[in-house]
Amino acid sequence: MSTRRAFLARTAAIGLGATVLPAVGDATATAVPQGEVDVEPRAAARHDLTELTLAEAATLIRRGRLDPVDLLAAYLARIEAFDGTYQAFNLVRADAARDEARAAARRGPLHGIPLAVKDNYFTAGVPTTANSFLFADFVPPWDATAVARLTAAGGIVLGKTQMGPLATSRATTPSGEVTTVNAWAPEDPSVYPGGSSTGSATAVAGRLATSSVGTQTGGSITAPSNAQNLTGLKPTMGRVSLHGIVPLTHTRDHPGPLARDTLDAAIMLSAMAGPDPADPRTLGLPPVPDLVTAATPVRRRDRARLRWPTRIGVIPGYADGGARTAFLDTLADIPGARLVDVPLPAEWELLTGRVFNDVRLPERSEPFLPHLRADLRGFGVSVLGWLRGALLGSDEYLIGQRAKLVLLERVLTDLFDRCDVVVQTSPVPFDILGLPELALPIGFDDDGLPLGTILGARPYEEDRLLAVGAAYQAVTDWHHRRPADPTRPAVRRTPPRLDALDVLETMQ
Amino acid sequence: MQPTDDELDTLIRARLALLGIDLDQLPPGTEPDPETGSPGRETALASLRSFLRTTVPTLSEYRFDADPALAQQVAPPTLYPSNTTAWQR
Repeated sequence: MSTRRAFLARTAAIGLGATVLPAVGDATATAVPQGEVDVEPRAAARHDLTELTLAEAATLIRRGRLDPVDLLAAYLARIEAFDGTYQAFNLVRADAARDEARAAARRGPLHGIPLAVKDNYFTAGVPTTANSFLFADFVPPWDATAVARLTAAGGIVLGKTQMGPLATSRATTPSGEVTTVNAWAPEDPSVYPGGSSTGSATAVAGRLATSSVGTQTGGSITAPSNAQNLTGLKPTMGRVSLHGIVPLTHTRDHPGPLARDTLDAAIMLSAMAGPDPADPRTLGLPPVPDLVTAATPVRRRDRARLRWPTRIGVIPGYADGGARTAFLDTLADIPGARLVDVPLPAEWELLTGRVFNDVRLPERSEPFLPHLRADLRGFGVSVLGWLRGALLGSDEYLIGQRAKLVLLERVLTDLFDRCDVVVQTSPVPFDILGLPELALPIGFDDDGLPLGTILGARPYEEDRLLAVGAAYQAVTDWHHRRPADPTRPAVRRTPPRLDALDVLETMQ
Repeated sequence: MQPTDDELDTLIRARLALLGIDLDQLPPGTEPDPETGSPGRETALASLRSFLRTTVPTLSEYRFDADPALAQQVAPPTLYPSNTTAWQR
């Protein structure tokens, strides 16, 4: 484990060193409180408040040029107009959110920002269903730590978002009827919107909220972000507390933001991250680096460049001659970036494949044993994953846990001795290992649907990912593109359904 | 020697019963429950048999080292409360 310790030590050093990094090249910014941003809104956002990024909206609110009440009203109007089609929200806190928007006291960098929160985060006094029959009547007595931190920073919980039942698949009803659509194809529910943080993604992509949070166990932040042209950040295990989030897999659940761009993701994660005595997974870790600075583009002589010299690892089979290749070419042209071919570690396919991925399953059956005994039908279409978990023996479970350590050592040496960040073709390997991942928009397909990609990094090096994302987004505009509004009324054809075997195939 | 479907069904039902889980809560046959979408118990059993036949042998056959004595020394699982407590402080 010496290699892992060395990387952790180096990570800590980088985090501490962030205070002496190059300054952001905006000489006009004055008196910006520490941890806050000063971003002049783009022209496109001047006539539509829902077009504002979080950074832009926060800047205007802090300058006194935008009233949070007006910002909230703009989102509520769009929810009223379009959420019948999108079905992004399980619940909208319209009245409570208005009261909170009127509150005068400024609390932090998210002051007055409307947020969409996945419905597996506890929200005090507000139903938290995890979109399951099992939690249909559950009203938590307290907020999840992540929610408490977002609201302590001034964020407003606009509503709870629709999700895959118990965070398994794309959003459906607990009985499998497809609900939330991809905001880029709102009239066609067969277009994959990503799961299981589907509603969080659709809420941001459809401009029903400024930003959102989801959870990822097997791609549930990165997949909906990629499907809906968003920037999603799945942090390292332990970076954000899981206290007060309905568990799916203890060793693999990760809370994180689905945002409009890299800077927004950094602002959100900065608010959410840090040690929490209620979650031992967050304690004793390297400190949270200055994520907002890391996500702020650096320019020299008007040209964007990498904040740090960065080796970008390219795994075999990644380049596709299309959007991924163009992504690599764009990165290669950014000063400070260097592409390097890296090999996949030994036994990659085996140790990241379906069978070794299955060792996550007992971690969902164990906390749900009372439910499994009392109400199997209450799991709806998701039940098979829980039953499989209940059948796996302790020998196999331990083999799987030890294999993760072997895989991590190989990733840290075979990949990260050669590069600083690495492209990925699937979120699962780094979800297994708890390593950070950043999802970025990189183009559109022939049908006008978003294409995205994933970058991964060493443990606790979210700042590395954000710096690469910031530089890439400084020279591209994919992340600024928005889907057209739905044109048809919210009358739905009979929606498609997922059955239990469909869910088994796609569940995270 | 491969276990038969009947043997696996017995194993599945017995294991679940030991945990207090009654598979007969699911509807009989292969049709899903019309109200909840949960699968019929024959569908569930078929899925669980497939899981046991693929996942358990592949995991259990994995070798951390060709030498069984050395394999025991590879990647001990990090599941120690005392270490974790010290680490957090």
